[in-house]
Amino acid sequence: MDFNYISGILTLAGINLMAVLGLSLLTGFTGMFSFGHAGFMAIGGYTSAMMTVKFGLPFIPALLIGGLAAALVSSVIGKLTLNLKGDYFCIATLGFGEAIRLILDNVQYFGGARGWPGIPHHTSLLNVIIINIVAIIVLANIVRSKHGRNMIAVREEELASQIVGINVFKYKLISLMISAAYAGIAGGLMAHYMTFLQPKMFSLVKSTELTIIVIFGGLGSISGSVLGALVLTSLPEILRTFSEWRLVIYGLSVVIIMITRPSGLMGGYEFTPSSMKKLFTRIRNRKNGLPNHMEGGKTA
Amino acid sequence: MSQFLQQLINGLSIGSVYALMAVGYSLVYSIMNFSNFAHGGVIMLGAYFGYFYLTAAGLPFPVAFIGAALTTCLLAVIIERGAYKPLRERKAPFLYFIISAMGTSIFLENIVIATIGPTFRTYPEILSRTPIQIGSVSVGRLDLTMFIISAICLALLVFFIDHTKMGKAIQATAYNIKASALMGINTDLVIIVVFALGGFFAGIAGVLFGMKYTVYPQIGIITNKSFIAAVFGGLGSLPGAVIGSILLGIIETITSGYFSSQYRDLIAFVLLIAVLIFRPRGLMGKVTEDKA
Amino acid sequence: MYKKSLALLLVSLMILTLALSGCSKPATQTGTEGGAAADVIKVGWMGSLTGDQAVWGQCELDTVKMLFEEINAKGGVLGGKKLEVIGYDTKGDPQEAVNVAKRLTGQDKVVAIIGPNASGSAIPIAPVLEEAKVPDIATVATNPKVTVLDGKVKPFNFRVCFIDPYQGAVAAGYAYDVLKFTKAAILYDVADDYSQGLTEFFEEFFKAKGGTIVAKEAFKFGDVDFRPQLSKIKEAGPEVLFLPVFFKEAALIANQARELGITVPLMGGDGLPSEQLFTMAKDAVQGTYIVNHVDYDDPEVQDLKTRYRNKYGKELELNGYLAHDAVVLLVDAIERAGSADPVKITEALETADVQGVTGRIKIGKDTHNPEGKEAAIVKIEGDKYVFQQKYSAQLD
Repeated sequence: MDFNYISGILTLAGINLMAVLGLSLLTGFTGMFSFGHAGFMAIGGYTSAMMTVKFGLPFIPALLIGGLAAALVSSVIGKLTLNLKGDYFCIATLGFGEAIRLILDNVQYFGGARGWPGIPHHTSLLNVIIINIVAIIVLANIVRSKHGRNMIAVREEELASQIVGINVFKYKLISLMISAAYAGIAGGLMAHYMTFLQPKMFSLVKSTELTIIVIFGGLGSISGSVLGALVLTSLPEILRTFSEWRLVIYGLSVVIIMITRPSGLMGGYEFTPSSMKKLFTRIRNRKNGLPNHMEGGKTA
Repeated sequence: MSQFLQQLINGLSIGSVYALMAVGYSLVYSIMNFSNFAHGGVIMLGAYFGYFYLTAAGLPFPVAFIGAALTTCLLAVIIERGAYKPLRERKAPFLYFIISAMGTSIFLENIVIATIGPTFRTYPEILSRTPIQIGSVSVGRLDLTMFIISAICLALLVFFIDHTKMGKAIQATAYNIKASALMGINTDLVIIVVFALGGFFAGIAGVLFGMKYTVYPQIGIITNKSFIAAVFGGLGSLPGAVIGSILLGIIETITSGYFSSQYRDLIAFVLLIAVLIFRPRGLMGKVTEDKA
Repeated sequence: MYKKSLALLLVSLMILTLALSGCSKPATQTGTEGGAAADVIKVGWMGSLTGDQAVWGQCELDTVKMLFEEINAKGGVLGGKKLEVIGYDTKGDPQEAVNVAKRLTGQDKVVAIIGPNASGSAIPIAPVLEEAKVPDIATVATNPKVTVLDGKVKPFNFRVCFIDPYQGAVAAGYAYDVLKFTKAAILYDVADDYSQGLTEFFEEFFKAKGGTIVAKEAFKFGDVDFRPQLSKIKEAGPEVLFLPVFFKEAALIANQARELGITVPLMGGDGLPSEQLFTMAKDAVQGTYIVNHVDYDDPEVQDLKTRYRNKYGKELELNGYLAHDAVVLLVDAIERAGSADPVKITEALETADVQGVTGRIKIGKDTHNPEGKEAAIVKIEGDKYVFQQKYSAQLD
């Protein structure tokens, strides 16, 4: 078993995870579905590559600038489309994602469709892990805060939230911008890992992949997204032995998951110290024949 | 001037292909309120079925044609039962339908690649390729045939929807599915019929597409364009889908003909976004509002 | 609750399978089973086994397998060692290519890699090769940046084919000097690096010789209807239509062009020649000129074709010839290096000079490309590619 090979897959999973975390905030917690997040990855990727290659900036600032660029573009898109009804917003993001890619195909400064090789190789498994940990902590704090609760309110019952006084548009926009920033950073990580950028790396297929991971992991669960990213990035590798059939199985398993357990792997739960404690208590109580909620093995 | 006419004919020709595909989308959307991304896969299979009925089974063309359409009709219903009905039953949010649809389309595309293989198949030449010359404008024989077949099919469909009992049931269900069920309409059956119709059209579109171009597993991707056309014309409206498609075909062609061919696809997406921002219900779509 | 623990179990199972997948068998493997490791030299192959270029990828892999079997039957290399190929599918995707390269060099420990056929896959694997110090011989990757980036040669990338600038120059030169065309139109794929590359160089060289490009139209990969662009091209009145695209698009374009009444000859690069072209557009492509790597009438080439046909019952595609030459190049390097050490093989490759079925391959030290390789111009007549002449161009 070769560590280099496994580390490559884990790095890719980590890059996907970064984008998935952002999308999780938008979809899982705010309830808006996007099929264009690969476009934000592309913006972040190309911008950060421009920073390192043309301006010689160091890696981390370049990544952050990439994320910022993606967030800015998303705010423009958001102002235009966030007033649309759910499914139409979805279609609009699809349109934008593809439009961004098509534009990049034609911009020769960035290499156009032929791609842009020669980007310095800065991404490593170590910095991917660190960046993800920071991202998760930031995200968890957002979700637990008042802002996060407002977003969840928007997801659950938009009309009611508006009546109660929550500025729905503002929260949707914030959610979109943060998710775009995360995707942008992920794009930057991707660019400096492959050392090569090509617009077709950021197609509708990629956007769909990201959304599928969020759903698979479970809406409203950060740990679900982590698990989802790990599992679904490595799935094609595990299934590599079946080569031609692996995509068939991939498609079929997506459908089966939707039918049998649409709440995803974690179904809204999180892996936190308190939830783990609860889980153990439940298992222990089950063994002792007690009702699940009893604590410490005491009888009623 | 003749260049303009030629481009117009080109646009109509592309548009009629989009129209056949878009109608299937619109039908399903009007009832189920979601975009059936698996439609592309069904169209692709229609092309393959037609090809095999024609070559391997050696059936005469009209038989193969109808046969392919009937097979896809059945396929669409199977997909509905398998991939969407369970979601309907547990009242899943519409996004799950879309994910399921995408999973199905990935499944269909790849099962063809894994079993039949990725090489392209060409339909045997049914109609001669020499075009009909009207002045300095060339009209392909196949294009003319396609246009006529599309027109006939769509006319039949409109007749069905407007003048038969089942058609009326479909209209009612499209308007309000719960109320229709309360009124005694077997909404489950209506849904099956709608998918069957969509599948039938997909089969026709597939065979015609295969004849015009070639047969390959990735045909489903072209249907993204017809999806844009359906939105443009107004999701849920059949005449809208047709008009939207033809207009899209013409706009695309004029753009590539007179501006720049590189931006042809970009224009389609810009149009989509503009429509969604300024007139989300499209040209002729029904107005849907959030119910409190 | 049951469901949740089940889900957890499922996930742990999957992670475990990932760990074990490292020990799983690859997609294809030939060579002696259960032979002692020391007597087997593992060579990797990567390319598109699915996707648009699957036909070519599959052919390449089959050719390599066939050649290895033949070599092993004759006694192998380095005094009796057997060659074994381990092949993976890149799906034509750069990300996959990187994964595959890592797997081949890290997991399977190959001494060299043959392929890929796509420049988009060949470029991003360079860092992987450099880290693992394993050489790669690309078969039909024609983008200059595969071996040379910003003036510096990449130490572990090599190729056996000529590059896009060269192809474009050859096409332009032949069209202008030999066929005496002065007005050309181009229809290319804006979303494809190969197509953009050829277009750029064809245009540059054609104009430098004094010709005019009367129309330059583009489409995007995935398009199947080219009539808007073709109508414009027809209006411009070219003498030849240059199609730097792949055979599927070329066939569709050719059919539609003829339907619109365009009768001028077509010209294309190495993306065109394929048996598929005849199945799809036989009548439309008659008289097309193609810049090819190989002269199909050469007796050595014929022999290879026959062997392949006998073994697989299919016609040999273009990629097969280049895969053959990659094998020749590699085997020669292994023998001259006298060992199966990847670094030594790389050094030997830098000074390689072999005769392949596609011509003489003399690797230039500064570019790792075959220097001064002649192109073979072929013309489609009936259902054959008829050799016209060898042609080479001067790149400044």
